[in-house]
Amino acid sequence: MNFELSQDHKVLQSAVRDFVEKEIKPIAMKIDEEHMIPDALVKKMGEMGFLGSYFPEEYGGAGLDVLSYAIVVEEVSKACGSSGVLISAHTSLANGPIYTFGTEEQKKKWLPALNTGEIIGCFLLTEPNAGSDAGGTTTMYKREGDEFVINGGKIFITNGGYLGTGVLFASHDRSLKHKGISAFIVDLKSPGVTILKNENKMGIRGSYTTAFAFDNLRVPVENLLGQEGKGFNVAMDTLNGGRIGIASQALGIAEGAFERALAYSKERRQFDQSISEFQAIQFKLADMYSRIETSKLMIYKAAWLKDNKKNYTMESAMCKMLASEAATYVTKEAMQIFGGYGFICDYEIERMYRDAKITEIYEGTNEVQRLVISKLLLS
Amino acid sequence: MKLLVCIKQVPDLESRFKANAEGVWYNETDLAFRMNEYDEYAVEQAVQLREKLGEGTELTVLSIGPDRVVEAIKKSLAMGCDNAAHIQDPAASGKDPWQIASIISSYAKGKGFDIIFTGMQSQDRGSAQVGVTVAEQLGLSCTTTIVGFDYDNGTITAKRELEGGIKGVVKLKTPALVTCQMGLNIPRYPTLPNIMKAKKKEIVAIPVADLLSEESLATTASFHPPAKKGGGIVLEGDVADLVEKVIAILKDKTTVLR
Repeated sequence: MNFELSQDHKVLQSAVRDFVEKEIKPIAMKIDEEHMIPDALVKKMGEMGFLGSYFPEEYGGAGLDVLSYAIVVEEVSKACGSSGVLISAHTSLANGPIYTFGTEEQKKKWLPALNTGEIIGCFLLTEPNAGSDAGGTTTMYKREGDEFVINGGKIFITNGGYLGTGVLFASHDRSLKHKGISAFIVDLKSPGVTILKNENKMGIRGSYTTAFAFDNLRVPVENLLGQEGKGFNVAMDTLNGGRIGIASQALGIAEGAFERALAYSKERRQFDQSISEFQAIQFKLADMYSRIETSKLMIYKAAWLKDNKKNYTMESAMCKMLASEAATYVTKEAMQIFGGYGFICDYEIERMYRDAKITEIYEGTNEVQRLVISKLLLS
Repeated sequence: MKLLVCIKQVPDLESRFKANAEGVWYNETDLAFRMNEYDEYAVEQAVQLREKLGEGTELTVLSIGPDRVVEAIKKSLAMGCDNAAHIQDPAASGKDPWQIASIISSYAKGKGFDIIFTGMQSQDRGSAQVGVTVAEQLGLSCTTTIVGFDYDNGTITAKRELEGGIKGVVKLKTPALVTCQMGLNIPRYPTLPNIMKAKKKEIVAIPVADLLSEESLATTASFHPPAKKGGGIVLEGDVADLVEKVIAILKDKTTVLR
């Protein structure tokens, strides 16, 4: 057993760190304030290969593995949770299902532009009344000749504002519940697609969270992803892998806050000593770091399982749950260590505190993760 | 054309250094290592030249040290070097600049390298002797601390940084060796696709014993942190006196009033 990263992964980690330090960290606060990741940064991340890390080179990917992807999302999220989720949602939720369920023609057509970041992808599953319960999908489709015609709406779509390539879920018969759902690859610049709004949020404010309406959106039949009626399987498999990405984002946010809190605890002096000399602070640091390391081990294990084609459903649920709860805990304690300064926007801790919360909610709430884990234990 | 770039892996300078048990070098335990900063400029310049010259040019990266230096080698390969030589030496940190240069010269001899790039100095030992010694041992023309580089038809035109911010331009015929200084270029990031491609590039491992026959000329006697300095100088008196004193100190200790 070996818990050390390979030399190749270390090279990757250090390359990503250098990039993040120079290209993302200096503008992370601006991304949050302006609710936008600059196009120039998205382009640079694409050129770095961050947006197609684990897909084969023949489809424009970098050809690396899922562990490399986890490391990229983690390192980026240390500086900017918004940029981290852009990569995660794009890679796991758009490129992922097209790669896993797409035909050779679909992969050749859609993946190169996604993997190089020329086009940003998104995953259109959630609806006002279909969140954790995807079987409640009310966006409908029907076949007309060589096309599917889609009507309905979606909400909370990460990366939706880029109007790139989406993997969209719709039903042809609501009474069939999840068995009536199919998945489609859609070009969101098509007629019939309207952005209702990009949400104003508590955290990850640089990331688009978009509400869409579809009014007679026409999709060619060759854009059906997987078999008709098997869309629910596409969604579940995709979310399974996506959890590793969100766990990595949460881990990065926690690590970013921890690094700052650790440094601050050594600098800040009260009662003629640095506050790190008080046991009250030392215990906080110990608890924070232990949760970070626990999450990291589980994420890397889930990635390793996926890379080795082993079942990783339980580990991906556990790592998402552990890392997101570590993120909310660590950012809260980091703010406590920073005291009043932590509450001031200039110190970035408050942004990380706001960014952390969503990781307990999206890509399956932590309650759903516990359901997945316990079901597997008892099945 | 054949190009060689020599790199060293050094500890992150923000590390907390402690002397090793022998008290002659730092203890490597728990240190994070990365490529020597000046060597990154050397790699970038070599890769830029390699790209300019195109097919028929081969760029080799060389590093001496334990297995961990392969990380720095792989980074160079991902930046665009074609192949690598890892001179395996777990005791490289104990060798003096003469021995390190001798190892490089022994490797490079007879291989017909047209240009050798090195960093100006390493960030840990900082002797700035290895590059120039290699040039001397191999009989190459050489210039140091370059901040500008151009190559055309067998001639290098290098801009050098001199004392006090003055620049000089040197022309030299190849084969030649140049040592690279900050300001020469901005090293590229290794991209993920290039990290993947680098996995397929050849790294030849050579035991140091096959290349080294020289004894060291200098040995490190001790390694220790600087003595703790006292507090700053506190000036007292009336304002006119204080101004005189400050001016005198600035003239004496700094260049700002010269």
